Amino acid sequence: MGNGTSTIIVIPAFNESGSLPDVLQHLRRVVPEFAVVVVDDGSSDNTYDLALAAGVHALKLPFNLGIGGALRAGFRFAAEQGFQRAVQFDADGQHDVHEIAKLLAELDRGADLVIGSRFAGTGEYEVGRTRSVGMGLLRVAVRLLSGRRFSDTSSGFRAISARMLQQFADEYPVEYMDSTETLISACRMGYDVREVPVTMHERSAGEPSNRNFRLLYNYARLLVVLATTARSQSPALPPVTPPPTVDLTTPAGVVNVAEVNS
Amino acid sequence: MSTGAHLLLIAITGGTILAILRLVRRQVLRAKYSLLWLTVGLGLLLIAAWPALLDLIADSLGVNYQPALFLMLAVAFLLIIAVHFSFELSRLESRARTLAEEVALLRNELTTQQRANQPVEPAQHQEHS
Repeated sequence: MGNGTSTIIVIPAFNESGSLPDVLQHLRRVVPEFAVVVVDDGSSDNTYDLALAAGVHALKLPFNLGIGGALRAGFRFAAEQGFQRAVQFDADGQHDVHEIAKLLAELDRGADLVIGSRFAGTGEYEVGRTRSVGMGLLRVAVRLLSGRRFSDTSSGFRAISARMLQQFADEYPVEYMDSTETLISACRMGYDVREVPVTMHERSAGEPSNRNFRLLYNYARLLVVLATTARSQSPALPPVTPPPTVDLTTPAGVVNVAEVNS
Repeated sequence: MSTGAHLLLIAITGGTILAILRLVRRQVLRAKYSLLWLTVGLGLLLIAAWPALLDLIADSLGVNYQPALFLMLAVAFLLIIAVHFSFELSRLESRARTLAEEVALLRNELTTQQRANQPVEPAQHQEHS
């Protein structure tokens, strides 16, 4: 880590004043060498002021764009500022600051998109029954559409390489379920997507971002988007910098999903 | 059709056309849409003033029941308009989104500059150039 590559932590935040200060404080304590940008997605509370007060970069969207909109703004900022890697991190205290290194280590091994999975081993993450059924369905859909197996298709804890970052800054779905959509399209475009098990906490404040009927709508929307995106549509990948080292020994605990789709 | 109904129809379509012209004059409606609705209005006015025209068209197309032709055309037209508006709406939404991002980035730049002018503020992350 840290071999001349600059890293930024992108935190989308919508009314997260309850948990954001703690999250920022943890980040400063554990990874002080990383820049942080908080994207305030049109909050009605003082999320933006708290981010400013913490001395991190802060983007204030004039109105709520949704999680995908906030993320693209953050990725655009990261790309424009010339950052080499980005880590997407939640403002609600769900993600563990200490796990960031694990994701970044996988980027160093040549991955473009590293997903911190709640279900790939470490930690016991509990979800409600409706959600778990929904997530199961989504896993199957992702497997069919991307040709790969992922244990967590909707994780918002991800590390992003320079060329993936460029891609996300240019094009990122606005709507909810952005993570699943980008996961599949990244696979289809030939990016190296990997999954790493991480421990997650309970949310320290705020409400889960979705209700069941909304979730259903979003599943339907996602299916339409994915069905209409041609499978053959794979634009030329930008060159990898630095070139990935050939790594035959898969490190323990890493679910390597790259081989399935050769 | 009675003369009264006939006159009423002409008045309604004529009134619609005038209302559209008024919207354009007050610059509430963009010219491209006004042209569209004016064309529709004129077509309707023509048929209202001279109903035999519809019969003529229907006969020449081999449609036995003239109102069916009229309704079919109306539905097809409205469908096309609705799809077109959805398209325009999507485009506007994506532009608004880009603008929102642009505003956020600019505001950040401004705040950063203001901070730089106040040396009291601690510089946090300077690892990027």
